[in-house]
Amino acid sequence: MIDAYKRLMNVESPPPPKRARGFFTDTSLCIGCKACEVACKQWNQLPADGFAMTGNSYDNTGTLGATTWRHVQFIEQAKANSSRQDQRWLMMSDVCKHCANAACLEACPTGALIRTEFDTVYVQQDICNGCGFCVPACPFGVIDRAPKHGQFEAGTAHKCTLCYDRLKDDMTPACAKSCPTASIQFGDVEELQERARHRLAELKARGETKAELYGMPEGKEATEVGPLHAFFLLLDRPHTYNLPDIPRLPRQTMAQRYGWSAAVGVGFALIGALVFRGRR
Amino acid sequence: MWTWEVPAYFWLGGMAAGAYVTASLAHGFGSADDRRATAGGYYLAAAALVPCAPLLIADLGRPDRFHHMLRIFKPLSPMNLGAWTLTGFTPIAFARAASHAAGTGLLRGPLGALARLVPTRLAELAGCALGLTLAGYSGVLLAATNIPLWAKSKLLGGLFMASALASGSAAVTLQAARRGAPDATLHRLAALESAASAGEIAVLAGYLTQSGRTARPLTRGRFAAPFWLGAVGAGAVLPLLLHRLAGGRRGRALQSLSAVASLCTIAGSLALRWSIFEAGKDSSEDQSASFELSSG
Ligand code: SF4
Ligand code: SF4
Repeated sequence: MIDAYKRLMNVESPPPPKRARGFFTDTSLCIGCKACEVACKQWNQLPADGFAMTGNSYDNTGTLGATTWRHVQFIEQAKANSSRQDQRWLMMSDVCKHCANAACLEACPTGALIRTEFDTVYVQQDICNGCGFCVPACPFGVIDRAPKHGQFEAGTAHKCTLCYDRLKDDMTPACAKSCPTASIQFGDVEELQERARHRLAELKARGETKAELYGMPEGKEATEVGPLHAFFLLLDRPHTYNLPDIPRLPRQTMAQRYGWSAAVGVGFALIGALVFRGRR
Repeated sequence: MWTWEVPAYFWLGGMAAGAYVTASLAHGFGSADDRRATAGGYYLAAAALVPCAPLLIADLGRPDRFHHMLRIFKPLSPMNLGAWTLTGFTPIAFARAASHAAGTGLLRGPLGALARLVPTRLAELAGCALGLTLAGYSGVLLAATNIPLWAKSKLLGGLFMASALASGSAAVTLQAARRGAPDATLHRLAALESAASAGEIAVLAGYLTQSGRTARPLTRGRFAAPFWLGAVGAGAVLPLLLHRLAGGRRGRALQSLSAVASLCTIAGSLALRWSIFEAGKDSSEDQSASFELSSG
């Protein structure tokens, strides 16, 4: 019966699970060359976004978006008349975090957003109907819907795929491949996490006291969205890089919200019954 | 992304649900007069549902794939739950309206005979359950995001529910008043509508308190006028006063006062949805509010 249904509906069984893959982005190594941005655009055939100057440091990309899946942030830390030693120029290549509990995936009403065999989060372009709900659901502002009448995959949602096509062929994602300083490291998530712990200890020993990891299973940022499969070594507080302290997973409070809503509805029904009662 | 179609759909869907529930309450508990005067609520519910699905579909990035919403059942996603609820509620509302039309002789012939087969009590119960879901999920949907104005307070779902019930009962009052319903029925409808408006004000106060500074794009920004004057003033406070004023009157005066009050409630409900929806976009640019949402 079930087999017949599967044959009729063309249901295929999912590929067998593989080890979880992800990125460890070590911002202490980033030199802001944007090779990752370019490599990502080339491999994924994402159109250019124009040549607008933002006036914000070296950042002319602005934000992640439907056609921008890597974004190098530039943060200038310099007080007026401060000495050279007190000045810092932070760089960080931002990307989809491939959250263990992904808000976008939970929000998606069509099942277009799926978890792949590599434990990454992926948008199936032939399923997405562009409802746009995943966009405000993502606590990091990553995923975006392409313009409805644009040139590029019009109207559907887009974000980093962790180069799903390359992963299938056991290749390194384009950004990590092109990064000249190994700021973006690709591999098995557990192994990367181990590497990150070592790197943090090393930096702390060298006097980088403000350095911290963001997206590790033990971090408070993993409270709701779980460990991030693309995680970071930061040189300052997450806020500095526009990252939330505790990214919120909408599911956590949903029952309470429905509860209040139902309470109002039931209250109205009771009052209605009282108002009309006994007038037959 | 996400344009006027969304608040318009939330408004109409909520009003349809409110009208259906109000009419069903009157049919379940009220007098023969009450039933006669409120049956038009079923027509209103069906009529308000007609544009809902088209509005929902028009806002999609790929409207041609609207049916992908129904390829899975995933109540965890409010968007999916809402699509299913609308799909279930619309035929029930139409069936109940058709059954009434058959009862009054408006619908004749084979269609009328078919409509007479509709089990009205069952349709009322199931319709109320689905209608209340439709009225409430829209606020939960907006709140199940990371937009501070929508997500900070836990009460947006309750607020939209109260507003939907107020506008729905107002729609029933409006058609009853226009068709010259008996005074007693109008008084009862006014009591119910006022309860919903009072509830809406109470939930709104809670919502604003919980939201705190996060509510600024709504209470101070460019949406302050539609919100305070439209949604709160004209949409909830004024109808309460007007119904109060109409309380001691009868006949023509009662009918006109009820009609004006109801129109205000209906318009205010749209103003509420629209201003909260649009101010949410400003809120998404508010970095300190975002950090507040994600702190501690
Ligand atoms: S970062 Fe955003 S888009 Fe990426 S998996 Fe997490 S919720 Fe989804
Ligand atoms: S826009 Fe597409 S991927 Fe995003 S929630 Fe809607 S259907 Fe899913």
